[in-house]
Amino acid sequence: MSTIAFSASSAVGKNAAASADVPVRIAVRNLNFHYGDFRSLKDISLDFYDRQVTALIGPSGCGKSTLLRTFNRIYSLYPEQRADGEILLDGQNVLSPSIDVNELRARVGMVFQKPTPFPMSIYDNIAFGIKLYERLPKSELDGRVEEALRKAALWDEAKDKLRQSGMSLSGGQQQRLCIARTIAQKPEVILLDEPTSALDPISTGKIEELIEQLRSEFTIVIVTHNMQQAARISQFTAFMYLGEVVEFGPTTKMFMNPSKKQTQDYITGRFG
Amino acid sequence: MVALSQKALVTSADKPSRRSSFLSFDDAFRLASLGSALIVLIVLLGIIGSMIYGGWPAFREFGLGFITSSVWDVQRDQYGAWVAIVGTLTTALIALVIGVPISLGIAVFLTQLCPPWLKRPVATTIELLAAVPSIIYGMWGLFVFAPLFARFIQIPVSSLVEGLPLVGSILYARTPSGVGVLTAGIILSIMIIPFIASIARDILDQIPPVMRESAYGIGCTTWEVVRHVLLPQVGVSIIGAIMLGLGRALGETMAVTFVIGNANRLSASLFDPGSTIASRIANEFNEAIGLQLNALMALGCILFLVTFTVLVLARLLVARVKTA
Repeated sequence: MSTIAFSASSAVGKNAAASADVPVRIAVRNLNFHYGDFRSLKDISLDFYDRQVTALIGPSGCGKSTLLRTFNRIYSLYPEQRADGEILLDGQNVLSPSIDVNELRARVGMVFQKPTPFPMSIYDNIAFGIKLYERLPKSELDGRVEEALRKAALWDEAKDKLRQSGMSLSGGQQQRLCIARTIAQKPEVILLDEPTSALDPISTGKIEELIEQLRSEFTIVIVTHNMQQAARISQFTAFMYLGEVVEFGPTTKMFMNPSKKQTQDYITGRFG
Repeated sequence: MVALSQKALVTSADKPSRRSSFLSFDDAFRLASLGSALIVLIVLLGIIGSMIYGGWPAFREFGLGFITSSVWDVQRDQYGAWVAIVGTLTTALIALVIGVPISLGIAVFLTQLCPPWLKRPVATTIELLAAVPSIIYGMWGLFVFAPLFARFIQIPVSSLVEGLPLVGSILYARTPSGVGVLTAGIILSIMIIPFIASIARDILDQIPPVMRESAYGIGCTTWEVVRHVLLPQVGVSIIGAIMLGLGRALGETMAVTFVIGNANRLSASLFDPGSTIASRIANEFNEAIGLQLNALMALGCILFLVTFTVLVLARLLVARVKTA
């Protein structure tokens, strides 16, 4: 066992015990994904549990971000990309053509690698997303904005400058603004695509704490390159390699006692 | 080992001599390229200087009245630029009103909505539109567009609005010939569309894809993404692109001269003939002597000053996003 796995073990201990009787929120069935002629996901079948953090790990190009990007169909912005199979969100196939993708994306929020505040004030960055789908009186809207900023642990830093541009915040604050923007829409699922890879360790720590708190309300899927991060914040981990899920299980087991050699090699840093 | 160090010695001994023999060439090259660059500056300053020198007698003779007077009478040697200035601004404004929405539509379509196979044909067509010589636009405007415009727009609209307040004077053609301020503005709008559209497309292309994805990611429709996120993100530069088009519209000569009617009177109607600074110069420079020539030079100064300011501002605004 390597040092990484050992340091992970103490963190894993803090995680809620992952048990099989947690309800499934997203069920992926026989999912295939193509970039043009290249098949980048191969017959993926995977369950994501309700109000748990699931980490997708694996070397670059293994398809973990691609998998994440199918859940809100953001890939469909690019005509050469297509997915087939089933992704059942509460039993409803999100890949079905009859799904309203805009509405889907409000239900399945996404936070990206780089902070992307919109060119508007901090307040409007959050209110904008709410107003897309809800007509609220001003006072209620104010409340929702404050609630979202509080949940994203940004309220104390931002409350005096809500009218300033979102760009005036630091990188870590911008990323928390993006998280606030996402949770303000009260989504069911939050997708995080390497949300801390552009951030310094202190900001990263804050975001990780935040994810830990958000778990009580949202089903969270996170793509990360950082093994310790996966160990610290997730309850379930899926290890992917070359477009396939090599192993999936409770994070504790994945890091302490993986059943596949490939998983162990990746987790201990022997390849990838 | 010995051979190696000898080789090293030889090359290091070689180097200075090679350098020195090329030093003078390098200097000459530097001077030549500096000269090329300076020529542009000298020519520009020379043009400005000679325009001011040539136009000065007119400015001295009429003072501020040169700008505010609408009399342009060659017989009495009285010159005022007001009609031409108003014509220039009006046609450019019409061109922007028509051209900007279409250009932005093209840019948004090409960057956000266009299926890949259609991208190249549309983009190429737009670039070809920019390559059409302005004399062709002029000819086409006069011989093809103007008669159609008179028949299908001017005559029906005039009879429709006759007697109505405001629109009855703005859109009423006393002599529906097809040429006029509005016709010039429409032709100009076609001419500036390729410029604004291609620059706006480049600007929109520079927005990182993740920005677009995160806007779609919260459930925006394409319209909401473009209107609330992408355009505000690059707003200043888009204004720069529009001003580049404005610069072109203000200075365009040939096409406008063909279709504006070249009348020196201020008319409330957009269907009536008028003139712009550039069309006035193009019409009269051939026979101009004495004070008339000075007046044309002075007109040129005004046009130069206006377009120069517009273009400098435009460049600054466009550059802002490129450095950001």
